[in-house]
Amino acid sequence: MATLARHWAVLLLVFPAVARSAAAQLPGVAVERQLAHELGLSVGDTIRLGPRPDTAGTLVTISTIYEPRADPAEIAKRERHLRMHLPDLVALLGAPDRVDRLSIGLRAGISADSASAVLNRSAYGFRAYPSASIAAESSQTFRVVSRFHRAIAVITIVASAVFVLCIMLLKVEERRLDAAVMRFVGVRRRTIFGALLLEAILVAALGCLLGTGLAYLAGAATNAYYRRFFDTVLTFSVITPGIVWFSVVLSLLLGALAGALAAWRLVQTRPLVLWGRG
Amino acid sequence: MNRAVLVARDLRKDYPMYGEAVHALRGVSLEIRGGEYVAVVGPSGSGKSTLLQLIGGIDSPTSGTVEILGTVLQSLSDRELTRLRLTRLGFIFQRFHLLPVLTAQENVELPMAEAGVPRELRRARALELLGYVGLGHRARHRATQLSGGEMQRVAIARALANRPALLLADEPTGELDAATGHEILELFRRLNQDGTTLVVVTHDDRLAEQADRVIHMLDGHIVIPERREAPAVPGLPASTA
Amino acid sequence: MRGLGWSLRSLGRHRLRTGLSIAGIAVSAAMLLDMVMLSGGIEKSFADLLLARGYQIRLTPKGTLPFDTEATMSGAIQLVTSIRQTPGIAAAGAVLGASLYGRRRDSLITLFGYGIQPEAQALYTIISGGDLSPTDSLGVLLSLPAARVLQAKVGDSVTLVGRLDPQVVTAAVGRTLMVRGLVRWVYDYRDQPSVGTVLPVMQSLAGKRPGDQASLLMVRAAEDSAAPAVVTALRKRFPQLEVNSVADLVREFKQRLVYFRQLSYILGTMSLIVTVLLIATLLTITVNERLGEIATLRAIGISRVSVVREVLLQGVTLTAIGSALGIVLGLVTARYLDSILTSFPGLPAAFSFFVPRRESLTRAALVLLLTGSLAALYPAWLASRAAIAEVLRAEAA
Repeated sequence: MATLARHWAVLLLVFPAVARSAAAQLPGVAVERQLAHELGLSVGDTIRLGPRPDTAGTLVTISTIYEPRADPAEIAKRERHLRMHLPDLVALLGAPDRVDRLSIGLRAGISADSASAVLNRSAYGFRAYPSASIAAESSQTFRVVSRFHRAIAVITIVASAVFVLCIMLLKVEERRLDAAVMRFVGVRRRTIFGALLLEAILVAALGCLLGTGLAYLAGAATNAYYRRFFDTVLTFSVITPGIVWFSVVLSLLLGALAGALAAWRLVQTRPLVLWGRG
Repeated sequence: MNRAVLVARDLRKDYPMYGEAVHALRGVSLEIRGGEYVAVVGPSGSGKSTLLQLIGGIDSPTSGTVEILGTVLQSLSDRELTRLRLTRLGFIFQRFHLLPVLTAQENVELPMAEAGVPRELRRARALELLGYVGLGHRARHRATQLSGGEMQRVAIARALANRPALLLADEPTGELDAATGHEILELFRRLNQDGTTLVVVTHDDRLAEQADRVIHMLDGHIVIPERREAPAVPGLPASTA
Repeated sequence: MRGLGWSLRSLGRHRLRTGLSIAGIAVSAAMLLDMVMLSGGIEKSFADLLLARGYQIRLTPKGTLPFDTEATMSGAIQLVTSIRQTPGIAAAGAVLGASLYGRRRDSLITLFGYGIQPEAQALYTIISGGDLSPTDSLGVLLSLPAARVLQAKVGDSVTLVGRLDPQVVTAAVGRTLMVRGLVRWVYDYRDQPSVGTVLPVMQSLAGKRPGDQASLLMVRAAEDSAAPAVVTALRKRFPQLEVNSVADLVREFKQRLVYFRQLSYILGTMSLIVTVLLIATLLTITVNERLGEIATLRAIGISRVSVVREVLLQGVTLTAIGSALGIVLGLVTARYLDSILTSFPGLPAAFSFFVPRRESLTRAALVLLLTGSLAALYPAWLASRAAIAEVLRAEAA
């Protein structure tokens, strides 16, 4: 069963059957679920297919309703598809012996690259590509989206780092009188620094936990929303262990660094200045 | 006899502390006339500062009334009370509490700006007051560039900005060394000689000594409302009335 | 207290924390601005593209959008002639899009071909050389990438072939044409090698001659305001065709890029939340630190309103400075983000996702200022509620 390649799609207009006719000789077609739902079709129904709105069309019968493979490149387009046997489509379109592409399965042990090279040596009017390179090429869109997400993530991390540093500075400065008293009674700078750093790391750790939980919730909400919105089973948000580890490590690092900077600044200040008398 | 500037009647103030009531003031009454210099003394916790805060309208009594120039403070709204503090009273605090980002002149101008005094007028008055307290040459210095004594003098100038009927000072020499404290002493004496009514809460005996009247407080009561008389023997304190 | 100077000087007292806060607000403001540009930029850019030469209406085969499929409609010339005679219509032209090949020595270069009616087109602007005349069946226009791959310039001849037959290894159709001009095709993606000939020549090359096929018709209403009425009339007259105004096409395009719009709302909201948190935290801590000062000011007669005003002013000042920096930063990051998104394969090179417009800049700035003011409300309320006596007692202790 050949499928219509998107770039060479010919318009098919569906004329809903006047009556349910189960003529055994009618060509069978497979209709995707969303199309069947929109037009109220079920298996056994007869419909007319035509290449143009002004043609009478050919009667066909719906032999299958299938769930289309979720294609991220297609979901926003809201195109609807059906499948039919190649000879039936050729007959319908009046296009003699012409297809958009051929799919070739190789025997075990034959590499796709070498097979493509052999075919391309004598190719005229066509080119052969390994499926992997097609997949790579058609993934360009998502690579762009990934790069965009990464850029947004970098900006967000920068904003978060500034925010964390600012907050840590404020929180540490709030404790300057306490720090001054501790220095007056002989507590070492190192001890104060260590205490403040530990506090910063604890706050960062708690923030990580909370953030990870929020991320899982947001991911679940994103998937639920977009699956419903696009009527698809695709997964839009995936939080892998790698992502979690990266986020946790980065957050802890940023929090610790911010806390360390703020604490260092505090312990470098003379106690009298901290007290407000310097 | 000068009219009464301040009349306080049976003032009581209780604070909740760890579930119990602390009686900071237990029925204090007093009257202060125009031009008087009154010192309020007593040990820590005797209720001196509480009394000052009540008569200054900064805090409200649990019971009792305070009248300033015939106006009962307890009958005023918060906005009216604020306005009264701005125009009829002047405050001086132990820790000066100047705005560190402003210059000496700007700190003195602050209450006048709030009262809507035009810029040129308030600038002139600020410089005049700074000259009065001996800091005319430091008008453009930031508060943080001044010494403790200088800051307190600026605070005094600020308190005088809107020509208050009554000046209230809470431990004005508490943060100052002896020599600087002496300068403040002299300034208060001069203020009073020039007609300013003063109520000063203090631990400083020197301030108490130069007052017309000394009020001793203990455990929230006035124990000895002392009116100063000229000493019978020079160098010896006057006898209590 | 009067005047901005006091608030600014208070901010200058702690330079590091003020600087960091402003930096944080700037980054958030930049993000917000970028998201505002993104949310409105897509439709603005696309609409500008479609209205490049003032053609407000497109007709395509039923159920399709321009250049979205290989579908064609027949009787193109007849349709165009009929439409041109309709009152209220200033111009109409047919376009055929097709894949074909250019011969360069012994190899064939894949090209995209536009079959056009030069007297009524909105597809290209001339870079050098001249245009095709309406009956010029010997001329061709090249895009710069096409000229590069074909190694041709104005005045040179190029050979275009179509309908390759792999079994007999020949091209069924071939034409040698003279390059009349180099043009920029409005809808080409980056480095797309495109060529343009008059419609009959391209129909022949693409094997679409029978039936006089075209991919779309472009129509220009005499008045912009009359375009919706013309669309309605055309829909009634040609029910077998898809008739879309630019607004319809923009709506469809927005639907396809709905993800970016939603992302822009989410990220924009998050930026505002960060801004609120930053300002509220900074000012709350600052107010707490200065409670003694505030209590003293209240004690000497400064009103609550004045205290609140000064705190609000600080919040607005921080936001204003941060926002000003953020707008500059946002314009820079927008260019970078736009360079990423415009590398989508198949996207017209003239398209932009982040379009800086005065309205979006103004809107972002106003939203930020409002947010900054709201963020300062809580600390301002705290400052106004300072219990004077309690604070003074604590200070003296």
